[in-house]
Amino acid sequence: MIDAAVIGVGQTKYDSKRRDVSVGGLVREAIDNAMKHANVDWDAIDAVILGKAPDMFEGIMMPELSLADAIGAVGKPVLRVHTAGSVGGSTSVIAATHVTSGNFDTVLTVTFEKQSESNATWALSPKYPYSPHINAGAGGYFAPYMREYIRRYNAPENIGWIVAAKDRQNALKNPYAHLQIPNIDEKMVADTPMLWEPLRYLESCPSSDGACALVISNEKLAKGRKAAWIKGMAVRSEGTLSAGRDEVNPQGGQDCASDIYKQAGILNPKDEIDCAEIYVPFSWYEPMWLENLHFCDLGEGWKLTENGTTALDGDLPINMSGGVLSSNPIGASGMIRFGEAALQVMHQANEYQVDGAKLAMGHAYGGASQFFAMWVVGNER
Amino acid sequence: MSEKNKSDMLRAPFKLEYDYERSTGPIIGKFFEGLSNQQILGTKNGDNVYVPAAEFDPITYEHLSEFVELPETGTVKSFTWIDQPRKHHLINKPFAFALIQIDGATSSILHMITNCNESDIEVGSRVKVSWSEEKTETIKDISHFELINE
Repeated sequence: MIDAAVIGVGQTKYDSKRRDVSVGGLVREAIDNAMKHANVDWDAIDAVILGKAPDMFEGIMMPELSLADAIGAVGKPVLRVHTAGSVGGSTSVIAATHVTSGNFDTVLTVTFEKQSESNATWALSPKYPYSPHINAGAGGYFAPYMREYIRRYNAPENIGWIVAAKDRQNALKNPYAHLQIPNIDEKMVADTPMLWEPLRYLESCPSSDGACALVISNEKLAKGRKAAWIKGMAVRSEGTLSAGRDEVNPQGGQDCASDIYKQAGILNPKDEIDCAEIYVPFSWYEPMWLENLHFCDLGEGWKLTENGTTALDGDLPINMSGGVLSSNPIGASGMIRFGEAALQVMHQANEYQVDGAKLAMGHAYGGASQFFAMWVVGNER
Repeated sequence: MSEKNKSDMLRAPFKLEYDYERSTGPIIGKFFEGLSNQQILGTKNGDNVYVPAAEFDPITYEHLSEFVELPETGTVKSFTWIDQPRKHHLINKPFAFALIQIDGATSSILHMITNCNESDIEVGSRVKVSWSEEKTETIKDISHFELINE
């Protein structure tokens, strides 16, 4: 397999309503930033991979067709990826695979969501004739799994507040982040209304408009410059409601993590990985995923959150950029995790840089906790 | 149970609808604004002029921002005749869907031609905009095109 590296990361300013741009303009803003970061022109791009969450989110069927000019795909191979909320992650993996396969030297990949054009909760919870309409959306769907996590491991209720405050404090250092809440702390989170037990308002992600793009290349462009070399990458899937499935600690997530650690030669992820951007749209998913990704034993995840291990100055900083809790353009959210992990090992994460980060993880999940995508990137080939 | 009731059991109403809102952005937005002022605006890149206005050059992918105003007249590049319009069509009498190259443009716009017979239109026919009474800052601000003799 051919070595591949991220050489450019581009993001848009995330906001609840980017009414100043069309969908094409939004996507292009991220692409322009990624190509500028990578210092490449269109001539260097051999293929374009576009990812986004369900088309019903904006009501644009097959956006990869209408966006062909905005994403520079005319006359080039284009592929569209869709794996629900994990799509930003799986799109990154698929784009990188186009390079590691040897088929292409340099691939541009971009993901987006423009949630202001629609209503994701409506799109996720249509009224079906054979069941009462609960209009739950993602928070209502995942809340029972968080309650089950709390029950299994007797976790104290303030763990969710710690995560929510910590990620928003990190977001204050990231100019791209959507939510910028001055003086955010645990008490402010705890004082917000309950949405879905155990989740309070500020323990939930926002709805954002935004896009993220990566330029991924082989040694031809990546050699001799700052690059995030991909040390391991994988995707895994599960059925939605199959019997025996453990949604609190899904097998697909465990297997995906084990796979990338094996590829990267990582034996002890907590000690060897310097920091991680993981998909935490609801506060409790930080401790749940810490366990699922083998950063600690079962029941120990909430303790790492509680003792500050996951804080920006902790031993294993998680979501240094502010995470999904601070910006959630759904289709792009996974790629933002993957791109932020790359920026950390390129030592270009500015105010939220983890000192000397050599190995960072990007993670995304989607659907009913059933799609997983992950990679580990390093500063050395 | 009657046959009718049996078949009803196998059906349930399912109405799925949502009013989306589209951000047109600075380029398409300005094109639509122009239509509401009875102006045809195109975007220019070298020798190419795109109508409808393109936000990105379809060949070079460049951002386009230079606007030019074009006349209300153009040439039929291609068409298909709709002899019996259906209720979802915007014109309720015989009309043509046509690709029309506005004078000065290098691309064509898809719109409709009516108030003529099928045999009156051919590729190369000259047409002129007929503006709508009601302005909505959408493509519907052009009601249709009509044939002209020059």
